[in-house]
Amino acid sequence: MPALPPDQLATFVQQMYGKLDDLSYYELLGVSTGTSQPDIRAAFYRVSGDLHPDRYHALADRELKDRLETIYARICEGYRVLTLPDKRAAYARTLAEGKKRLTSTERESNRPQNPEDSIKHEEAKKFFRLGMLSLGRKDFKGAVLNFNFARSFEPDAAIIKQKLGEAQAAQGATAKPGGAGAK
Amino acid sequence: MTVVGIDLGTTNSVIATVRDAQVVVVPAAHGGYLHPSVVSFAPDGLKYFSREAVARRILDPKNTVYSGKRLIGLPFRSDEVQKAITRLPYELREGHNEQAVFVGPDRNYTIPEVSGLLLGYLRQCSELFLGDTVVGAVITVPANFNDAQRRATIDAGRIAGLDVLRVLNEPTAAALAYGLGQNMSQRIAVYDFGGGTFDITVLQVEGDVFEVLATGGDTFLGGDDMDNALLNILAELFHAEHGIDPRSDQAARARLLIAAEQVKRHLSDFPEARGELKNIAMGGQGEQLALRFHIARNVFETAIRSLVGRTVQTCQEVLASVGLAASQIDEVIMVGGTTRVPLVRAEVERYFGRLPRTDLNPDEVVAWGAAIQAENLAHAGDNLASRAVLLDVTPRALGIAVTGGFAERIVDRNVPVPVEQTRIFTTSADQQSSVRIQVCQGESRRFDENVPLGELELSGIPPARRGEVAIEVTFRVDTDGILRVRARDASTGVAREAAVNVRGGMSDSEVAEAVERQKSNGDDSSLPELKEEILEDPQE
Repeated sequence: MPALPPDQLATFVQQMYGKLDDLSYYELLGVSTGTSQPDIRAAFYRVSGDLHPDRYHALADRELKDRLETIYARICEGYRVLTLPDKRAAYARTLAEGKKRLTSTERESNRPQNPEDSIKHEEAKKFFRLGMLSLGRKDFKGAVLNFNFARSFEPDAAIIKQKLGEAQAAQGATAKPGGAGAK
Repeated sequence: MTVVGIDLGTTNSVIATVRDAQVVVVPAAHGGYLHPSVVSFAPDGLKYFSREAVARRILDPKNTVYSGKRLIGLPFRSDEVQKAITRLPYELREGHNEQAVFVGPDRNYTIPEVSGLLLGYLRQCSELFLGDTVVGAVITVPANFNDAQRRATIDAGRIAGLDVLRVLNEPTAAALAYGLGQNMSQRIAVYDFGGGTFDITVLQVEGDVFEVLATGGDTFLGGDDMDNALLNILAELFHAEHGIDPRSDQAARARLLIAAEQVKRHLSDFPEARGELKNIAMGGQGEQLALRFHIARNVFETAIRSLVGRTVQTCQEVLASVGLAASQIDEVIMVGGTTRVPLVRAEVERYFGRLPRTDLNPDEVVAWGAAIQAENLAHAGDNLASRAVLLDVTPRALGIAVTGGFAERIVDRNVPVPVEQTRIFTTSADQQSSVRIQVCQGESRRFDENVPLGELELSGIPPARRGEVAIEVTFRVDTDGILRVRARDASTGVAREAAVNVRGGMSDSEVAEAVERQKSNGDDSSLPELKEEILEDPQE
């Protein structure tokens, strides 16, 4: 479908703009909550054909264009959330709480990027990295040592505790058969 | 009145338009369709462009600007500009607002001004060829160009008197040229290896919809690096024979670089290249020394293998970011002159496990797509527009500086544009009356490790204890990939907006001044023979 005629677009934008926060991502995309991922993509492509800002490039009304872009940006956000499985799951909880939009922190993906990003203390970070390197070499003893050093600088960092646990478990698993052989 | 698509390249530019539903490429002066992206400045203010300017790279290297795309939108002190300075024979200086400026024979020129002059020339070429005024243009940029680089490109267009309808990502343009009207349902990868940049972009094409799934690349990796590798081989051959390093002489270096580029092209078609360059240096007795060379393709390939390897690694990373394996790509499209190098084709084929598509001219395909999109935008809303929809993404994450030297991310990488996100921040000190919002682009949690884009200040915050003020920061990235930042003091309900001052960019008044200057110099005698040249047989 080509672009909407100007008067229809104006009516549409007027209706949508004010109630953007009251519409769920499903409603924005015009699909039901059980819609499969490929169908969500197809719906997004359909809506984009009508509402993509490029369709209205020549439009003189700046405010109308600006509002359309805000509406379409929210549709893009919905598309992204609903096509990423972990975000879609998080969004199900959001809806259950009666909210229509995923919180800003949950909308971001892959945070933190590196496991050590959540560590604030520089020394802790350094030893954590060394621990990860040891872990990669399967030097579990070295890993436990480094993670313990890291923890001494930043005792509350969850990621250090977690990796220390992993290293200790791996060390335990390899130490047993080794120990038996020594006897 | 017509609109065009311009592929403003590091080495060459291509300009195209749509006429009677057909893409037409504007021929270059002296034949072919590639306009070398070179501007040469004479002391009397005269400028030489394209092929004529290329000749002046040897005659007048200090006043001949090439590879401007490697500098555009970057602050003078950035690593990229500093690295480029060591290789470029023309002088760059730090200008107003941390800009890199070219020291010309008559005055200093900002980089967008130099690119603007080039775009103005391309515009004139098109107008002469098309017999019509060119009013608007879609200009393509590498997908991983940051916000400042995109803005600087728009400034260059404005200086050339063009209404920049859009800055469009090169791979998206290539995909559009490739897939429009084919009614396909495919996942394609655009491998774009140009003169100065490398990009890999994965798209889903469904009929008229072109959705970018992921993009990534290296703004400082291109065919120029291969030329430099060959330059070093040639220089070492000369050094071995005569005991003189020709790289220390600017003119000799310029000639070797041009020879290196020719050798590279030759080695794409033949297994070896032989030649002789006379008068490279002077010997102890004042005799002229020549460089005789014989370079086998495999010697060249050894020198560039790591460069090509870097591109394959980037492909792996980008595919991994969307959870795809190389085998899940239906087609690979090759874009950019550097994809003519056989080793590049071989490595791409090996990685993707399929023969890459090279049936569309890799030099022209981006301009084709830009021309199609220019037509689309100019006719938006009427039935002349094709139904193509381009769904692009943000190339990098965007965030702001927060306490402790960290960057708080507001917009992710690879999210569909337009995107609008708002986050709430607070003050870090009691009675703080203003906040400085420093904006950066990049994925690192540490602010310093990202590219700083600029800052805006929100002042007039009523006195309050730290943490009691709520500052709403809204980022919006539009379909150009351009960022707009708004900050609002939500605690008072008073909306305050401020514009980001882009670091290393031209101010609006500087651009306006440059536009006026360009207008007044308009179609003057600086292009004396253009008319005849452009009417030459393009096939010649």
